[in-house]
Amino acid sequence: MEYNILQSINLEDLSHFKSFTDRYFSKRYVLNVNGIENNDIMLMFHSNRITLISLAPSHFFFKKTDQYKINFSIGNIDRLTNSVKGKGKKGGQMLTANSVICKIEYDDGTMFAIPCCMKGTLIEVNKELTKNPELLREQPDSNGFIAIMLSSIAISDSTKSELLNHEEYVKTFNS
Amino acid sequence: MNDKNIFNFCKQAGCCDTCSLRYLGLKSPTFYEDIKKSAQRYKDEKTEVLDSEKPPDDSNKETTDDCDSPPPAKKLKPNLCVVCLGILQEETWNDSFNMVKEVLERKKYTSNTFACALSSPIATILREKAMALRLEKEILDYYSNIVTPLKEAWKWSFGTKLAPVIDKKLDSGAVSPLLITFSYDYLDDLQELEILKKIAAPLFESRRQQHKRFATEFTRRVVEQALQNVTVDALKAASESCCMAPVDTAAKCVSVVCTHSPLYLGGRYIKLSRDLPQTPWILSGKRVMPSSVQEIIFQPIADLYGMSEAEAETRLKLIAAGREDVDVRCLGQGRPFAIEITDPQRQLTTEELEKACKLISSTGDVIVRTLVPIVKDDLALLKKGEETKTKTYEAICIKLTCSEFDQIDPNAPITVTDVDLKRINTYRNTPLSNKARIEISQATPIRVLHRRPLLTRIRHIIDVHATKVSAGTYVKEWVHGELGRTRPALAHILGARADLLALDVTAVNLAWPPY
Ligand SMILES: [Zn+2]
Repeated sequence: MEYNILQSINLEDLSHFKSFTDRYFSKRYVLNVNGIENNDIMLMFHSNRITLISLAPSHFFFKKTDQYKINFSIGNIDRLTNSVKGKGKKGGQMLTANSVICKIEYDDGTMFAIPCCMKGTLIEVNKELTKNPELLREQPDSNGFIAIMLSSIAISDSTKSELLNHEEYVKTFNS
Repeated sequence: MNDKNIFNFCKQAGCCDTCSLRYLGLKSPTFYEDIKKSAQRYKDEKTEVLDSEKPPDDSNKETTDDCDSPPPAKKLKPNLCVVCLGILQEETWNDSFNMVKEVLERKKYTSNTFACALSSPIATILREKAMALRLEKEILDYYSNIVTPLKEAWKWSFGTKLAPVIDKKLDSGAVSPLLITFSYDYLDDLQELEILKKIAAPLFESRRQQHKRFATEFTRRVVEQALQNVTVDALKAASESCCMAPVDTAAKCVSVVCTHSPLYLGGRYIKLSRDLPQTPWILSGKRVMPSSVQEIIFQPIADLYGMSEAEAETRLKLIAAGREDVDVRCLGQGRPFAIEITDPQRQLTTEELEKACKLISSTGDVIVRTLVPIVKDDLALLKKGEETKTKTYEAICIKLTCSEFDQIDPNAPITVTDVDLKRINTYRNTPLSNKARIEISQATPIRVLHRRPLLTRIRHIIDVHATKVSAGTYVKEWVHGELGRTRPALAHILGARADLLALDVTAVNLAWPPY
């Protein structure tokens, strides 16, 4: 018997072409964080309480073309040295909605901070961004994600239901 | 030390024939297979008269002569043994026999052998010790360590008589797959053990203080511990009858449990559906997918054993060499697996197993070509295989951007070029001597990250054209690179973004089933 893989899926069906994050995550948006216009954050929720933090496409960051670096040192905490142990992810840095996950520092000396917008434990930051900061500009919802955090089911579910979903987000910018 | 003396001392103290033989230290099963005959050799006339064929109702005790044996039992009561509480006395066995017959009629085991086990009241430990201490005191050179354990004497005597009743041959638990366990309760059990609190006060006091650790006051272990260094005088001081009071009501068989040791079947399954999990997928009490490989395979097996759905859930267990995702097919020879069947009534015939395979395969989603009986030790091969086996995959991948290695306009149409294929088919980041062409480091995938530790694992891809991948590699993540968390991914080799559209496991390289 032959079970040809090419005949096993409908290649015309575009749902197969969804990006990794679109397939497995549902996106939520927080706009104008801390009263700063277009300080727009995107949280991507996996069904298993894992959340990715990144910038929403409407963030003012994407309008500026200057060179920048990404700094994960916040005060005396270095997010790059975050480490988690075991299944329980012991030892991960605790994050609150106001915690700064990283700072974007431009060559002209200006900078802005990116808040994480949800309470949880930091699992890992995207270390690749320190070598290749352009990833954030090019693929914010993919390889340019900023960090992975883990929350309780309660916090994950309630935050997810409170925030703007993708449709609502698109509507906000089209009206 | 004279065997007749010991035997008759026991009899006069109120022991049954079997217990009296136990105190002689007789260890050969044949002695217990015909108690009457064995006892005859040791009885003197006096006791013989007593035990002669009188109806049990009449056989009250009349033999309290010189020795300090307990007072005679009430009239119209069978002569219940003061040590075994009647458990070794044939006259009390009918109820137990009826109970076994009832269970076996229901469960219909085809095994023609059986083993039996006894759970006796704890008071028998105390009584047995009390009798032994008396023998040590009264009879020169008697050592109580020779006493044949109650459960052994019971197995040989009771088991031998049970065999024709259930038409099975008595065998040892190590040989027969069918084990019948009899549990006896004794009305005065706890009350009789009470005196141990006087005899071994500190032990029970310390247990009382740690009542959280020791929820049960009297266990076999603690009773044995309390009796370890006890003397006959201590027992006498604590109890008028020296812990061997006449038995009013025999210990009663309260439960008979029959269990057959598990049977194992081995096979390989082919999974043809991209909407089928390996095991039932249930999220907060709700089914996500209507069926699973496991349920499809279990159905005909459960039917053959007449198991209900709920029963099948607890009595059948699937053990597979790894698993594939819901949307991944498993082709070729299929994935090795085994089924553990708890408490089976019987072996399945070759014809029945063939029919089961046909029924499984008729669903169209799962194919099992053969199911063969295997043994428990074979399971180790499955588990070991999970770590060492290699797997072969076939995948459809998509190139999503132009390759950064090609100096072309990034907005040009995206095509897969011969150069791309060459890059994939010749890429090597390991020394030429290495069997595997590509070594990747892979962070724990996000889809399992909530329940597994965050680790970076080194995995090997032996070859890509044939896409042979070593065990434990998350292939999906290798193709798209999972946000850069697996590298080098196919995308890195291509210099372009890539993704996976469909994945098949085409071979799980493990010799299975073993025969
Ligand atoms: Zn007895």
